[in-house]
Amino acid sequence: MKVSYNWLQNYFEEKLPEPEKIFEGIIFHSFEVEDVEKVGDDTIFDIKTLPDRNHDCLSHFGIAKEVSAIFDLKIKDKKIKTFEPKSTELKIEIEDSKCLRYMGRVVRNIKVGESPDWLKEKLHAIGQKSINNIVDAANFVMFDLGQPIHCFDLDKLASSNLIVRNGKDGEKITTLDKKEVNLDDSILVIADEKNPLAIAGIKGGTKAEVDSNTKNIVIEVANFNPTTTRKTAKKIGILTDAVKRYENEITPELCSIVMDSITDLIYILAGGEVEDIIDIYPNKPEQKIVTVSVSYINKRLGSNFSKEEIESVWKKLSFEYINKEENFEIKIPFLRIDLNESYDLVEEVIRILGYDRLEEKLPEIKLDRKVNEAYYKMLWIRNKLLTDGYSEVMNYAFRDKGEVEVLASASNKKFLRNNLTDGLKESVKLNLLNISLLGIKDVKIFEIGTVFFKDNEEMHVAYGDKKGIVELTVEEYFSINCPIEQSKDFSIEKFISFVSHEDNYKIKEFKPWSLYPFITRDIAVWVPENTEPNTLFEIYKELGTELLIKDPELVDKFQKQDKISYAYRLVFQSYDRTLTDEEVTNIMSKITDKVTSLGFEVR
Amino acid sequence: MKEENQKGTEHPLSVIINDTIKVFTELGFEVAIGPELEDVYHNFDALNVPKDHPARDMQDTFYIKGENEKVLRTHTSSVQIRYMEEFAKSGKKPPFAIIAPGKVFRNESTDAFHEMQFYQIEGLFVGENISMANLKGVLSYFYKKMLGEDINLRFRPSFFPFTEPSIEFDLKYKGRWIEMGGAGMVHPNVLEKCGIDSNKYQGFAFGPGLERLMVIKYLMPDIRPAYHGDLRFNQI
Repeated sequence: MKVSYNWLQNYFEEKLPEPEKIFEGIIFHSFEVEDVEKVGDDTIFDIKTLPDRNHDCLSHFGIAKEVSAIFDLKIKDKKIKTFEPKSTELKIEIEDSKCLRYMGRVVRNIKVGESPDWLKEKLHAIGQKSINNIVDAANFVMFDLGQPIHCFDLDKLASSNLIVRNGKDGEKITTLDKKEVNLDDSILVIADEKNPLAIAGIKGGTKAEVDSNTKNIVIEVANFNPTTTRKTAKKIGILTDAVKRYENEITPELCSIVMDSITDLIYILAGGEVEDIIDIYPNKPEQKIVTVSVSYINKRLGSNFSKEEIESVWKKLSFEYINKEENFEIKIPFLRIDLNESYDLVEEVIRILGYDRLEEKLPEIKLDRKVNEAYYKMLWIRNKLLTDGYSEVMNYAFRDKGEVEVLASASNKKFLRNNLTDGLKESVKLNLLNISLLGIKDVKIFEIGTVFFKDNEEMHVAYGDKKGIVELTVEEYFSINCPIEQSKDFSIEKFISFVSHEDNYKIKEFKPWSLYPFITRDIAVWVPENTEPNTLFEIYKELGTELLIKDPELVDKFQKQDKISYAYRLVFQSYDRTLTDEEVTNIMSKITDKVTSLGFEVR
Repeated sequence: MKEENQKGTEHPLSVIINDTIKVFTELGFEVAIGPELEDVYHNFDALNVPKDHPARDMQDTFYIKGENEKVLRTHTSSVQIRYMEEFAKSGKKPPFAIIAPGKVFRNESTDAFHEMQFYQIEGLFVGENISMANLKGVLSYFYKKMLGEDINLRFRPSFFPFTEPSIEFDLKYKGRWIEMGGAGMVHPNVLEKCGIDSNKYQGFAFGPGLERLMVIKYLMPDIRPAYHGDLRFNQI
């Protein structure tokens, strides 16, 4: 989510560290920061909050809490309630347990209009459009505190009764973005006595939309079941900032401070008369107390933190706690849905103190070395085939036909391979085309890999050349080819020898190859038998230019009386273009000229 | 490359996998394997990934047509579960340590450094006092073997449902920090689901991708040719 540096600053009396420091602090103590952008005098961080912290960190307040803990800066107290509420006629009824809390409040005689510049700027900074002061206020408070808010036009309601109920078959709602959604009894809605007004936690409807003529509003600050909200949003294909927050579960406790905050802001921006809150809250979550000990924390971390250091973490995180000898009883803040057990607190300690505080320690336990027999067989086969001159390839598991089909693949190859042979045949073909580049006489290859059948998968080995491919299961190949006296010897020493060679761990540089076609030319030359054998090779290498992609390859040699014929194959290829015949002919004629000038005879 | 009857050439990923196995086998880790077409229980449920939770969206999963309970495994963490279930059933007691190299699948669009199939190496070490500092020690030891002594390792906070705490780790190699993979302390729920007493035993797990290591070690510009069956790839 986008987080504004200036917005964060509003939470602190003290001047925040520079944006670069905040960026670093968040990365090493909280979350990934995907992007940092300067916008005017502000800096915007794009923060990838972790899935277990979307509960409380999809908001500026959430990030401010992190900054407070990381840099040990105190969040200042917020003063609100500049209004005096009056009594209300609003009634709210919850018919389904998917709604965990519903707070409503009427504000009368407001003035809908343009938002002030500070509000527009704040929203603009995080990529939000300004609509009007009421909608903007609701948006602002959501991005500030992480709780979605909705406002209805009270005068468009059938009466001052709101009902939270399931949709009915055949019922429809038109959402604010003008999408018609068919309702059913799995979809929770907010309704008046006649019509559905909003899809709970997902999107408001046009029926009770706040517009420029709106005078009286109902503010909704509510909490809905994360799973059902997520399922409904997926089903109807509407993903909103509200859904993103509800589906990650927010504490219903948040509603109270949010209602205060939004009422205050609307009162300041649009005036009006504020009425009492109606709060339907069937099941208030219990206060969680988690006990954790200094020794437990140090045991899991392999660290040696003192009691005082650990205590400093609770202080930085503003956790209330009681200390009894080496135990801490932590009163978990309602916002921290992710903290439930003592092990959850271990992470809080180490991330706040810093992972750089962990030493690198190899375990001191000596383990019995054991051999995995199936893997042993695979390695044995691999070694045998390599020794027999077969080269190893790996092909895709996905093919255009097979017995097992994957759903919704991004690729057109939707099936899992049921044999290695088909892929290997293609590899043989591909490598035969490149044989002059590879400098080998014959293409002999193998692959060891999983193949998939309707009801099972098997580890196969396939090997062969242009004459044919043999495919067996790893078990079959091993029992046929491994000599009896070796086939029972699954020793760890043997196992390690299969993965060992003189080049273990060596760092080498890979050479990418050209994607352009190559051109091959053969040249046979008679030279006197006393000629230095390398003479022709050196000439070709020199005059072949950088387009000669590999060393000249001697393909034929024979002697007649006092003359020897050397036939070389030259392969030309460019890294940046398709070579023309002419270019290569030019090079070859220079070579021919040189050879002739030395008195040799080109055949 | 001219002698007759020469040895075949090796695929660079195999070289990386074998080097990895060598390091860990010598430390006492046992190689473990498991199915690539996995059931939802071993790929998600047993790993503490709740149903209908956004955490399942973290990985783009390949589901199988006509099979509600099967997926192409999205990580080798499923091998941890299979190994620990067997281990606990056989009545043995920790410590144990495994290393599981294997192919995993993600339904993502591909580019020079991402494929729909790739290799992960899963490590798991459980005992009475196996700690996060041990994780750091083992990873550092491994990467020093693979890339030379001149590397640095650092941890950053992360989240995986099956580890607590969870971290992402980076390596400083040739002057640059490179994100390598995820790791953490095995979540006690995961141990319990497999029948291992989480009050008595604890341990770490890690699962970096191997292509990333191959690419930085051999300075490869693109991983896609790895699965083209092209022998020009076998240079290492």
